[in-house]
Amino acid sequence: MNILTCLKQVPEKDSRYKIDSSGIGVSDENLTFETNESDLYALEEGLRLKERVGGEVLALSLGPERVDKVLRNALAMGADSALHVKDESYDGGDAWVTAQTIVAAIRQKEFDLILTGVQSEDMGHGQTGTMIAQLLGWSHATIVTSVDVIDECSRLQVERELGNNVFERIELQLPAVLTIQSGINQIRYITLKGIMQAKNKPYKIISTDDLDLQSGMIGEESSKLKPQELLVPQKKRQTVMIEGDAEVAVKSLMDRLQKETKIL
Amino acid sequence: MPDQIIVLGEHSKGQLKDVSLESLSLGKELSKVLRKEVILVVIGRELDEMAQEVSSKTGLRVVVLTTQKYEYYTPETYCEILYSFLLRESPYLMLVGHSYQTIDFVPKLAGMLDWAFVSNCINYQIQNSQLGWVRQVFNGKLNLRVEVKRGSPYFVSIQQGTFETSDYNIRVSPRVYHHELVLPNLPLKRKLIEVIENVHKKIDLTKAEIIVAGGRGLGSKENFQLILDLAKALGGGVGASRPVTDSDWLAKEHQIGSSGQVVSPKLYIACGISGAIQHLVGMANSECIVAINKDPYAPIFQVADYGIVGDLFKILPILIELAGEIKK
Repeated sequence: MNILTCLKQVPEKDSRYKIDSSGIGVSDENLTFETNESDLYALEEGLRLKERVGGEVLALSLGPERVDKVLRNALAMGADSALHVKDESYDGGDAWVTAQTIVAAIRQKEFDLILTGVQSEDMGHGQTGTMIAQLLGWSHATIVTSVDVIDECSRLQVERELGNNVFERIELQLPAVLTIQSGINQIRYITLKGIMQAKNKPYKIISTDDLDLQSGMIGEESSKLKPQELLVPQKKRQTVMIEGDAEVAVKSLMDRLQKETKIL
Repeated sequence: MPDQIIVLGEHSKGQLKDVSLESLSLGKELSKVLRKEVILVVIGRELDEMAQEVSSKTGLRVVVLTTQKYEYYTPETYCEILYSFLLRESPYLMLVGHSYQTIDFVPKLAGMLDWAFVSNCINYQIQNSQLGWVRQVFNGKLNLRVEVKRGSPYFVSIQQGTFETSDYNIRVSPRVYHHELVLPNLPLKRKLIEVIENVHKKIDLTKAEIIVAGGRGLGSKENFQLILDLAKALGGGVGASRPVTDSDWLAKEHQIGSSGQVVSPKLYIACGISGAIQHLVGMANSECIVAINKDPYAPIFQVADYGIVGDLFKILPILIELAGEIKK
């Protein structure tokens, strides 16, 4: 199977954000980046499928220079090749723009399966994977928690989450797009051998200019959504932050729980 | 009509789902603010009874859509049905709940119609006569207000639990319209094999008065024992965020959040849980929330009544001991 996995680079989970001077973005300085969590599970799933039925995994990512960290990581995990669609102004497009960019980037290639995560931790639209399926005219399934290839690689049986510990088992024709839920598998550790092998794997960089897209097709100008203001959320509750070292803080907490809330 | 707000009613076993009731409330509120009509759309078979009841109680027009070969939900079926309906109706906007189902088909439909889709919104705001939508971004640490450039029509999905549900008790004559669309008889690209409900070993945390929950911050299955010990000392239930059950530190039955149980105990103690949206959705309505985390910017502190920023491994043992003494 020829498998494409789409990986997004996002700021680390524990990041502390500073709203930049534009008022609609965050400052890049002092931010450390990592691969979006559900995309990483999607990559792992792609690698496992390859190991089961044979084929190749291409890792793709959109964004500036720093995105190469995500792709090198993917190659070290076992992806066969990487495609970096480089654009500094990329960030700001909505999911439809992202989907169109990805579809344009892979136009010359033939895939049986495209895997993405369910949603990104930064923007969280949760739409890109499904929109890719729509653009390609492929079948798709979202929030996938297990994947089986059947019928000599012509069909898939997958399970997807419906919430409340309920799942549905469905069958899909290939080619297909799946958005993969976190926790579907255990992500493998990168080995030294993997890192060494990664250095010799094909790593292609193309710019959005190389794509069959009209200028202005990517990025914020073609996005249907216009960001207006980035805000620190208003507190839903008045949080009492309890100070002091562990002993002091715990005692104070228990005191309050007993006196103020009368729960204990 | 560009004067219409269409609300999608998701349903199960003859009842509208909570998130659809919330969407309806929001729809009604917007209809007053923007002076538009609001209608409810439901898709499927044998929905007349539910449609009549909802229409009567809410005073709204309800449209029941189906096709000649409708059997169950697939994204293709829903998209085909809604595509022709929405092209004809051309509403101001379509409002849906952010759910496992709408994630699955609305992006496809938005692509088919070339409409914007503002997903997982927690609020709306009208500024300079423009309707904007507020979404959580960056793991829930910030909110972003966006506007739709081209204006209507477009899709909005709302996060469950963020808008209140009104009590519907109007009791008027129902207005229900049934449309059966005849769609081309093409084979479906996707079919349902079965629905699987994992009900064995059920642990019902919804009845617990006190819940102690642990997250990634505990670091390992061995360390997670601290959570079990604290829960025992307080006589409470044990909960966990998703990464914990994914890593098999605890059985999935203990998971709290959008993929697990939704709880609202008297006391919820969140230890080493960052407070990702998917978890908050499962516990934000708890009466009293205590958060213990080493990251002062963890979103969990936004919903906590009491917070301690510090080292779990210093705090928990002391807490366990003190809890044990108090409960004696």
